[in-house]
Amino acid sequence: MRRPGGPPFKKFKFRNSLLSRYLGIIGFALVFIPILIPVSFLASWGVSRVLFPADVEEKTEIVRSYGSGLKLENAWHNEALSLGGKTPEEINVRLRALKQDYPDAVIFWVDGDGLTRLQLPERASIPSKWRPEDAITYMKQAVNSDPFTTVAFIGGKEQAAGQGFMVFELPRKHLNQSTVTREGDARFYGFFMFLMFAFFILLSYLFFRDIRKRLLRLESGMTRTGPNGLPVRIPMGRPDEIGRLELAFNHMVDELDDSRRREREEEELRKSLISNLSHDLRTPLTVLGGQLYSFHKEPLSDQGRQSLALMETKINDLSGLIDHLLSYNLLASGRYALNLESRDVLRVVRVSAAAWYPLWEKAGIEADINLPETPLHWRIDEQGFRRVLDNLFQNLVRHAGSGGYVGISVEQRHGRTALVIADRGPGLGAASPAKGAGLGLQIVDLLLREMGLVRETESYAEGGTRVFIYPAV
Amino acid sequence: MIPGKNILYIEDDREIGEWVSEDLKERGYSVTWLTSGERAVEEAASCNLVILDVMLPGLDGFTVGQRIKKQYSGLPVLMLSARTSIDDKLQGLQFADDYLTKPFHPDELAARAEVLLRRNGAPSAEPLELRHLLVYEKENIIKNRESGEEIMLTGKQFHIFQYLLRHLGQIMTKEQIYEAVWGEPYLDGDKTLMVHIRHLREKLERDPAVPEIIETIRGIGYRVRV
Repeated sequence: MRRPGGPPFKKFKFRNSLLSRYLGIIGFALVFIPILIPVSFLASWGVSRVLFPADVEEKTEIVRSYGSGLKLENAWHNEALSLGGKTPEEINVRLRALKQDYPDAVIFWVDGDGLTRLQLPERASIPSKWRPEDAITYMKQAVNSDPFTTVAFIGGKEQAAGQGFMVFELPRKHLNQSTVTREGDARFYGFFMFLMFAFFILLSYLFFRDIRKRLLRLESGMTRTGPNGLPVRIPMGRPDEIGRLELAFNHMVDELDDSRRREREEEELRKSLISNLSHDLRTPLTVLGGQLYSFHKEPLSDQGRQSLALMETKINDLSGLIDHLLSYNLLASGRYALNLESRDVLRVVRVSAAAWYPLWEKAGIEADINLPETPLHWRIDEQGFRRVLDNLFQNLVRHAGSGGYVGISVEQRHGRTALVIADRGPGLGAASPAKGAGLGLQIVDLLLREMGLVRETESYAEGGTRVFIYPAV
Repeated sequence: MIPGKNILYIEDDREIGEWVSEDLKERGYSVTWLTSGERAVEEAASCNLVILDVMLPGLDGFTVGQRIKKQYSGLPVLMLSARTSIDDKLQGLQFADDYLTKPFHPDELAARAEVLLRRNGAPSAEPLELRHLLVYEKENIIKNRESGEEIMLTGKQFHIFQYLLRHLGQIMTKEQIYEAVWGEPYLDGDKTLMVHIRHLREKLERDPAVPEIIETIRGIGYRVRV
């Protein structure tokens, strides 16, 4: 669903999506498990060859093999049995023939008297005359050693027949060996299998870590605010689901920016409209005032002077009204930004009273200012609070000047410290010659509300009004 | 050119400009009237006070004022505005020394101009007459007119009196005087200023119990009036 004028989302391509990438990894894993096993084995074999070449070469050197030890032993015993009763020469001939068959073997025989007869080949370690100890020593050494040795009594199966014995020695490497060497090829198989699985795990981990990283970056990007107090655009990554999220977020930021800009423009427009309006209204008023002022230099009758004074007062009133009207417009639309700070209110009041004092003196108003030495801290906007006091004092001069009194003090009200501005005028109910639309007081209330303050007015039948200002909480 | 009384007046409205500059000339000032802010900074060099309208064609009053202040930081600037005070006060008063909304009474303008000239301008050669006192501001000498004796003040007493003279006719609060003279924030309940004022009155006043020179405005502060 796309609304018209939406972001320029490109058509979403499946191959760009996270899902397709994840399926790719899973598919890769599934396809490769059957291939993995032979591949691991092959790799293992290859590595074995590279790492242990000597092992393999030695095995290929074996050109002659004479079968298993057991087979040789049986053959040797049969041979010995068949030589029973033969002359030493016949035995020699047979053994020489056997030596032809087993060129790697050492063959000799010892006659009944313990004399070594034929040795193929000659060997110094074999005694020429065998004593019983020699036979035992030889047998002891021969058991389970290399070379493989088998001894058979000539003409006897299990016991001596008095013709002596014959010995067959063969290095064990010429015996048939079981497939021990095969195990060497597979020694890296497990390792390669593990390596392959680790690779898949790493791939999945990297995939999710990448997603996680981008999501976290997105989150931090969304929470970061720019100089204008709005979130900032985030740089675009890959055009997958997260990329689309980034795109949507950027679109939202743009929209927000746009609406903020429009709002600012409207605000500026409104402000400049008010400024221009104010300027256009006040300029002729100023000219009018100037012209009236020049009449003072002319000789005038009493009545002339009176109407001149009245006109000047009315110009002043009109000017005040324009200011109130436009200020109220700005304030009511929330365009006037207050800068609230903890301030000593009494100090602000004293400065304001100092500015108004000459006017009070001129109007014959006695000022009774009774403020404590200790400061009274409220969170206020100084300009705004000055404006509140100005409007209240102005009202007082206009409507309650006849009382000839202004009292400024501090009192407890509803358990809170309140600033009190009192007059001895005719009170609220009375008609004042300069009664306006009450805009001045509305501005006061708007400003006070913005500063978290409350205004309460008490008017007395015998005359006089007391205005209380205190914090709302 | 009248030394110490040269006013640069920038106003685009011809009717208002003519009337105000005529009135100021009648009051004894020398007035240079410009209808735009273009040459304002150059003209300001030979002036003692600038009266500046906020709404000007081309460069607006705030920009012109800020440029003048940047060049001549000691030159007082009085802004005249036909805009809403609540709007202007935010932007305008940061650099301006005073502010007046149109329509204004020429007496009011002249009074404000006088205050600014006195506060920031060079002290006049003419001695100031205050009741029984003659104050030679240029030479920092105070004389009793009746006895002809010179009145010697201590450093702080002199600073306090000078501050009040610079704001002649204006009421200054305790905090304002203390912070201007001592250059540090006023602490509540501090009696130092009151003690100094008492000593100052003992030297200046004919009868310190009934002060005529330094007026006490109860609950607000002090004032020296002509």
